[in-house]
Amino acid sequence: MSDAILTLRGLKKSFGDIEIIRGVDLDLLGGERHALIGPNGAGKSTIFHLISGNIAPTAGEIMFAGKQIGGAQPQAINHLGISRSFQITNIFPRLTTFENLRLAVMRAHGLQYNFWRLVDNNRRVREQTERLLEMVRLQARADSIAGEMSYSEQRSLEIAMTLASDPRVILLDEPMAGMSRDETEYTSNLIREVTKGRALMIVEHDMDVVFSLSERVSVLVYGQVIATGTPEEIRRNASVKEAYLGEEVAA
Amino acid sequence: MKPVHILLLGIVLALLALPSFLTPGLVNAAIQMLIAALFASAYYLLCGQAGMLSFGHAAYFGMGAFATIHAMNAIGGTGLLPTPLMPLAGAIGGGAFGFFAGYFSTKRTGTYFAMITLAIAELVHALAPHLKALFGGEAGVSATRMPAWGFTFGSTNEVYYLTLAWVALCLTLLYLYTRTPLGRLTLGLRENTHRLRFLGYNTHGLAICVFVVSAMFSGVAGGLLVVSNEAANYVLFDAHLSASVVLNTYIGGVRVFLGPILGASLMTFFGYAVSDLTQSWLLYQGALFVLVMMYMPNGLAGLFGQIGQWRSRFGLAALIPFVLLALGAGLLVGGGGAFAIEMLQRFLSQDYQALASANAAGTWPPIRLFKHDWSPAAPGTWLVPATLLTAGAGLAVLARQWLRRLVQREESNRAAAEASVPGDAA
Ligand SMILES: Nc1ncnc2c1ncn2[C@@H]1O[C@H](COP(=O)(O)OP(=O)(O)OP(=O)(O)O)[C@@H](O)[C@H]1O
Ligand SMILES: [Mg+2]
Repeated sequence: MSDAILTLRGLKKSFGDIEIIRGVDLDLLGGERHALIGPNGAGKSTIFHLISGNIAPTAGEIMFAGKQIGGAQPQAINHLGISRSFQITNIFPRLTTFENLRLAVMRAHGLQYNFWRLVDNNRRVREQTERLLEMVRLQARADSIAGEMSYSEQRSLEIAMTLASDPRVILLDEPMAGMSRDETEYTSNLIREVTKGRALMIVEHDMDVVFSLSERVSVLVYGQVIATGTPEEIRRNASVKEAYLGEEVAA
Repeated sequence: MKPVHILLLGIVLALLALPSFLTPGLVNAAIQMLIAALFASAYYLLCGQAGMLSFGHAAYFGMGAFATIHAMNAIGGTGLLPTPLMPLAGAIGGGAFGFFAGYFSTKRTGTYFAMITLAIAELVHALAPHLKALFGGEAGVSATRMPAWGFTFGSTNEVYYLTLAWVALCLTLLYLYTRTPLGRLTLGLRENTHRLRFLGYNTHGLAICVFVVSAMFSGVAGGLLVVSNEAANYVLFDAHLSASVVLNTYIGGVRVFLGPILGASLMTFFGYAVSDLTQSWLLYQGALFVLVMMYMPNGLAGLFGQIGQWRSRFGLAALIPFVLLALGAGLLVGGGGAFAIEMLQRFLSQDYQALASANAAGTWPPIRLFKHDWSPAAPGTWLVPATLLTAGAGLAVLARQWLRRLVQREESNRAAAEASVPGDAA
C-alpha cells in the first residue's frame, strides 16, 4: 500500500454554534478501499461534503495529492480527480438514463463549451456511456426517464455517474441503501472491480458489506474518528463496540 | 421521411409560395410572425431548456435592433455590411449586451435571476430616451435599406424572403444547438445545476453561454425588425415586449422545440388580425394565457401531442366526436367571451359614458357591435353572450363525458382481454 492520497488534519465544521465535525484526522491511502462508519448523525456525509467542496471547513486542512483543497469549488475538486455520489439520489430526473450518464461522461472529454459538434456523433462518448450502463446493469433502461425508475435503479445510475469521469478518488455515500440482497452483492463486487487502482472511501451501514469490501475502516462518532484499522482490528476494538457496533457484530 | 419532416417541408414550401397569394399588408404581418417566432425560440432556449425565466428579454431584442440600425447608417449611410447580412450586427449587439447582463444575472437562480433580468431591462428602458446619440431620443433612429447582391430590397416581398431566410437559418441552428454537448448541458442546467458542479462543470460559465446564445438570436430577431421597418425607437425596450415573448412562449408550450414558434406566430397573427377590430387585444392575450396555463400547462403544442396520444389509444373514429364537441365549446365560449368583452369595453369607454350622460337620464344610446345596434339596457343584449357561454359550457361537459366514456371502454376492454387468457395465471 502506498502513501496517503487524501489527508484530513484537524478538520472542523460548525453549523451556527453547533460543531458537527470536531477535529478529524484521517488518511486515505492510494489504492485502498476505506470504509467510514458511524451512527446516524455522526457527520459522515458532512465529511464528504467538505472533501467534495459542497461546504467549506471551519478549520483544518484537506490535502489531496499534496494540494490544499478545503473550501475549493466542487468542479475544481472534481477536475483534480475526486468524484462523489450522494446519499440522497442526485440525478437529472426528467432526462433519460442514457442522457444522465452521457452528461457525466462528456466532462472528461472536454466538451463543456462545445456547440459546433453533434453529440450523437461522438462515438467515444457514446461507447463509454453504453459501457457504464452495462456495468451497472441499466442497459435495458437506457431510454427510461431517470426519475421514473425504481429507487435501486436510481442508486445504480448514481454510482455510474460517479465513475464516469475516471476519478482517482471515489467517495460513495451509502451507495447500496435501498437495494435488495442480490443487488447489494452485485454492487459490492462491482465497486471492488471498478475501484482497482483507485482510492475508495465508502460510507455504508451494512456491516457485511463494510467488512468484506474494505481494507481499512474508520469509525466516526460525534464528529470525531475514534478508531481506524483493519476490519479485524475494528471488530475487536472495545470502544468501537461500545460506541457503535454493539453486540450484533461482537457476537 | 418521418411525418414531422413532411410537415416541415410543407411549411417551408408554403412559406416560400406565400407572397404570391397575399396582399402587401398580409406579407408584412407574415414578416412580423417570422420575427416573433425567432424571438420566442431564442427565448425558449433560456426559459424552456435551461430553466432560467428571464423577464427582460426585450433588452436583447432592442440592443440587436439598435446595433443593426447603426450598422445600416454607418459609413455615411452605405452600411457596415451588405443589407442581407445586417442582422449579423443584431447578433453581435444582442450577444454583447447579453454577455454583460448574463454575467451578473446568472450568478443567481430562480426568482432572483428573474428579478435581475427585469431590473436590467427596466434600467435600459429608462436610460434609453436620455442617451440621444445612441437611441435617438423620443423620435428614434431611422435608416434606409441599401440595394445589395442584385436586390433592391425596395419591396415588401424581398424583405419577406430575406426575413424568411434568416429565420429558417436561425431556427435550424437553434435546433441543432439542442443536439450539441452544450445544448445537452443546457438541459442539465435546468434539471440539476448542483449535480453538474459535482460532475466537474463550471455552471456559471455554462449559464453565461446559454444566456449569450439566447440574447444573440434575440438580437437577430431585433435586427430583422429594423431591416424591415427601417427604424428603431426606444419603445422596443418596453416591458410589453418582454411580457409578450413570455406569454407567447408559454401559450405555444415550453416542452417542445416547435411550441414557442407556434405560439408566437399564432399570437402575432391574431394580434394583427384583430387589431382593427378591438382595442382589448392585450386583454385577450392575457385571458388566453391564463386559460392555457390552467387547462393545458404544456401549451398548444402539448395539446396536439395529447390529441395524438389519444388517437393512438382510442382510435380516430372514436375521437372525432370529442374533437368536434371541444372545438364547438371553444368557439362558443370564445364568441360569448369576445361579445361580452367588446360590449363592456364600448359601454365603459369614456366616449360612450360622455354620450350617455349628455342624453336624457335613464336612456342609453345603442352600441354598435358586429354590424348591429345593441341597447345596453335591453336584457336581450346580455342574453346573447350568456347563451353562448352557457351553450359552450354545456358542450364542454359533453366533451368531457365522451372522453370519460372512452377511458372506461378502454378499461373494460383491457379487463376482458385479461379474463380471456386464463392460461397466464397458471
Ligand atoms: N447544513 C446543515 N446545517 C445544520 N446542521 C447540519 C447541516 N448538515 C448536517 N447537519 C447536522 O450535522 C449532523 C451530521 O450530519 P450528517 O449528514 O453528516 O450525518 P451522517 O453521519 O451522514 O448520518 P447518516 O448516517 O444519517 O447519513 C446531523 O446532526 C445533521 O443534523
Ligand atoms: Mg449521511
